[in-house]
Amino acid sequence: MTEAKTSDGENAADNPILYVARPMATAARQFAKSLRRPSTIVYPYERLEDPRFRDQVAVEPGRPIGVGQVWDNYRGVHALNIATCISCNLCAFSCPDICIEMVTVPGDDPKHPKKCPQIDYGKCSYCGFCSDACPEGCLTMTTRYELSTPHRAEMVYSPQKLNEVFRSKLPMNPIRLELPENEDRILLDPPLCIGCNACARDCPTQCITMLDVPRPDAKPGEKLPKRIWKEPVVNDSDCVRCGTCISVCPKECLFWGSRP
Amino acid sequence: MSSATLYSVSYALAALILNVIGFIIPPIRAPITNVDVVTVLAVLIFGALLLAASMLNTILLIWWERKLLGRFMDRRGAMHVGFAGLLQNFADGFKLFRKNTFQPAEADTLGFYSGPTAYMVTSMILFGILPISSGWNSGSLPLSLLLALAIFSFAPLFIFVSAWSSNNKYSLMGGMRSAAQMIAYEVPILLAVVSVVILSGSFSLTTIVYEQQNYWFWGPLVVALIVFVAAMLAEMERIPFDLPEAEAELVEGWNTEYGGMLFAFFMLADYLRALVGSILVVLLFLGGWTLPTWVPSAATSFPLAGILWFMLKTYLVFGLFVWVRASLPRVRTDQLLRVGWNRMIPLALLSVFLAAALVTVRCVPVFGCVPSAGA
Amino acid sequence: MSEMWINMGPQHPMTHGLWNLRVKIDGEMVLDVDPEMGYLHRGIEKISEDRHYNEVITLMDRCCYVAGFAWEHLYILAAEQALHIRPPERAEYLRVMSDEFQRIGSHLMWYAAFVQDLGLMSPFLYGMRDRDLVLDLFQAYTGARLTYEYMRVGGVRNDVPPGFTDRARKVLDWLDDRYREYDALCMGSTIFRERCDDLGILKANDCVAHGVTGPMLRAAGVRRDLRKDRPYAVYKQIDFDVAQADAADVTARYLVRMEEMRQSNRILRQVLDWLDHHPGPMMADNLPRWLGAPYAPIGNEGYLLKRSYPKGTGFSAVEEPHGEACAYVVNEGALHPYRVKFRSPVFSNISAARQYLVGYHVADIPPIMGSVDVCVGEVDR
Repeated sequence: MTEAKTSDGENAADNPILYVARPMATAARQFAKSLRRPSTIVYPYERLEDPRFRDQVAVEPGRPIGVGQVWDNYRGVHALNIATCISCNLCAFSCPDICIEMVTVPGDDPKHPKKCPQIDYGKCSYCGFCSDACPEGCLTMTTRYELSTPHRAEMVYSPQKLNEVFRSKLPMNPIRLELPENEDRILLDPPLCIGCNACARDCPTQCITMLDVPRPDAKPGEKLPKRIWKEPVVNDSDCVRCGTCISVCPKECLFWGSRP
Repeated sequence: MSSATLYSVSYALAALILNVIGFIIPPIRAPITNVDVVTVLAVLIFGALLLAASMLNTILLIWWERKLLGRFMDRRGAMHVGFAGLLQNFADGFKLFRKNTFQPAEADTLGFYSGPTAYMVTSMILFGILPISSGWNSGSLPLSLLLALAIFSFAPLFIFVSAWSSNNKYSLMGGMRSAAQMIAYEVPILLAVVSVVILSGSFSLTTIVYEQQNYWFWGPLVVALIVFVAAMLAEMERIPFDLPEAEAELVEGWNTEYGGMLFAFFMLADYLRALVGSILVVLLFLGGWTLPTWVPSAATSFPLAGILWFMLKTYLVFGLFVWVRASLPRVRTDQLLRVGWNRMIPLALLSVFLAAALVTVRCVPVFGCVPSAGA
Repeated sequence: MSEMWINMGPQHPMTHGLWNLRVKIDGEMVLDVDPEMGYLHRGIEKISEDRHYNEVITLMDRCCYVAGFAWEHLYILAAEQALHIRPPERAEYLRVMSDEFQRIGSHLMWYAAFVQDLGLMSPFLYGMRDRDLVLDLFQAYTGARLTYEYMRVGGVRNDVPPGFTDRARKVLDWLDDRYREYDALCMGSTIFRERCDDLGILKANDCVAHGVTGPMLRAAGVRRDLRKDRPYAVYKQIDFDVAQADAADVTARYLVRMEEMRQSNRILRQVLDWLDHHPGPMMADNLPRWLGAPYAPIGNEGYLLKRSYPKGTGFSAVEEPHGEACAYVVNEGALHPYRVKFRSPVFSNISAARQYLVGYHVADIPPIMGSVDVCVGEVDR
């Protein structure tokens, strides 16, 4: 075990000479080093994402340093690819700061408008949970970090604006969170289902299809209802576990669970 | 431009102005182009030029400190306004000038406003006394050194006045510290100066510089130089002796309550005093505007050479102060007093004895035995 | 001057964060002090009760803004114990690496602020400059410089990028040189020694009585370090020493922190070597999806109760850069913790201010408080 060295017996106050040579020599050495180039980056004129800083290793021996670089996985302003967004709402749901709102974007289908995230950067904490949650990888974070604006309203980035960020081809966060395999499935409580089709209609991945299913609880000889009963069947390989179906179900007959 | 030519420029300017006025208004031409009137106006213009030059130098000094300190701290210092940030301090000054002056409730109005003004004015008066080149007659007063030091040491009084009038606890403590530390550095300064006076045999700054034609006084009086520089740091209230405005514990010390132009006064006066301190070091120990005899005469024969070398030395000395600021932490009041009384005064006394001995044997060991012209 | 109270804070250059130190002075002497905390209270403990286990991590980074990783680790350890999860070994090594880099970063920040309190400005910039390298490393693998959100229940978010360990070693080499430079600027300076020797003395008995921990306790001659005494993560497998000094003054605390940075370098070299040779998973494999995802499952919450996830409580104690932090997490089977409680070391450290401030000069308050290394974010939480 090393002992940190403490006051080595002599009381500095009793030192007859005001000994200042060592710190002054150190400062002078630093002065000489930074005469060539100080460690600072002249920000508005030079930028960290500048290629010459990008490829520069932060530490070079014998050179004053402090020059880092913006790595690709920096968590800055989001980029949204509207084309691949499936309106699953997971980004808004995962946001700890509730800064994401799903707003309608003009789409092909006027009946079922597409909803994409709109981010309020006045609230955003750049935790990256939304891009972790995005099942399609269409919401990512870029290296862009300049957001200042004179108006608070301009801090709210609409999906179109986020799409522009996406189109500007900024380096995007390449690291994807590997979520554990989900053993949970969307399950149905059949007696409650009224076959209203809401889940299939709103499913972002359209992995729910309404199929004729024989009623297991129909006793032989019992008179079946006249209308044809359909029940949602979930294609588990396509399901992104967004839970939209659960939240739209009017009879609360869908729930999470492990398939028996 | 040596002072004689500076004065002749002022005189020509005054004559020109008065002649133009006389030309426009013929009846008063004869009385106002009288030589006495022209001389009075010329002196006024001379003073204004001097003032402008000192302020300009002060602002340049702030720039110099910011740039130097920046490099010591591995950064760049001011760099946006003007070339290499030269105009940054003017921009800062204009900003402060435009700001409202705020006076705290229950502050003493007279003291609150007169403190910074007097601090500024006494600092500026010094420039009328210090010679900066060979033709500068104002410095050849027989007791100009004493006068300069006397005016220089006014400052703690005004600091204390403005601190007490601010009606702020931090200001009061800063003012108290300023008054308390004064006794720690004034005595060493005077004792260090005494050794210079002994060696040169004069209280006149101009004479002191001329006595250094053969050798600069820092050689034989290196101990006095160290004491003088250290005490000057305290006199100028710079790190490591900036206790009155120790921002870590006293916010801004005695100028906590000042803003706008009054703060600019303090700031300017601080750097004026730093400039004066550097000039005094150059005058007393570094040969003023003279260069060593081995330097080819071409270096001193061109116009403005004296002022140029003088300012160069001054800025280098100030660079030393900046270097100290960049590498040393602040001391405590009691430690400053202890250093002042226990270290600086004995060292300064030692230097006095040394100077007396040198004068007695008329021998300067550092540069070989050169007959001392003084005494 | 008669006795008077002055407020050092909350808007005062000494109190870098937001707190108030009321000081009763007589001239230059300190007669009494009264630390007031609470200016930065954000109710993190209460907010945590309404958040998914992973979402709490975003709060932990903001607990102490210079030691975010230490607090993430603290919470994660408690949460994992409460949720009966064991992280994979590589994740633990990555956590220790983050912890130790964070210790260096925090101590550099402390060094910068502490020496600036003494009126010396250039080490402030040196310290911040070198801390920036550590932050660059953080950014390289977490994507953020201050609020990392890197550790997750059951592991860490991602692996370090390729080439990271080499770069990290270069930073360590650079820092080794800088430590010598810092010592030259401080311990080599008579003025520094005059200012800091025999200042702010807090003896071991008083430390224990007031719950003072961390470098302050070790500077008083007590060899207590949770990394040795109650090893968590993989500290058991790492060879390092506990920094310790005996003088119990400001200089001793300086020395302890400097030695801790050197020891952190030593730990980091071992951890980086291990990381080079042991690839592995980042997350525990038996992790339920709802814990691995950064959000709670949507829909009927009660399903979890149906599944009856085992309840439990978790306690963790971590040697964070400022001292010993503790966390207690209660898992009642819901999506979010039932109760989260933290113990902040700095709260205890500055609560004892009367013990180590009274009797010194006003000018001594900034260096003494600087040597305590106050981080108000974790004091008030």
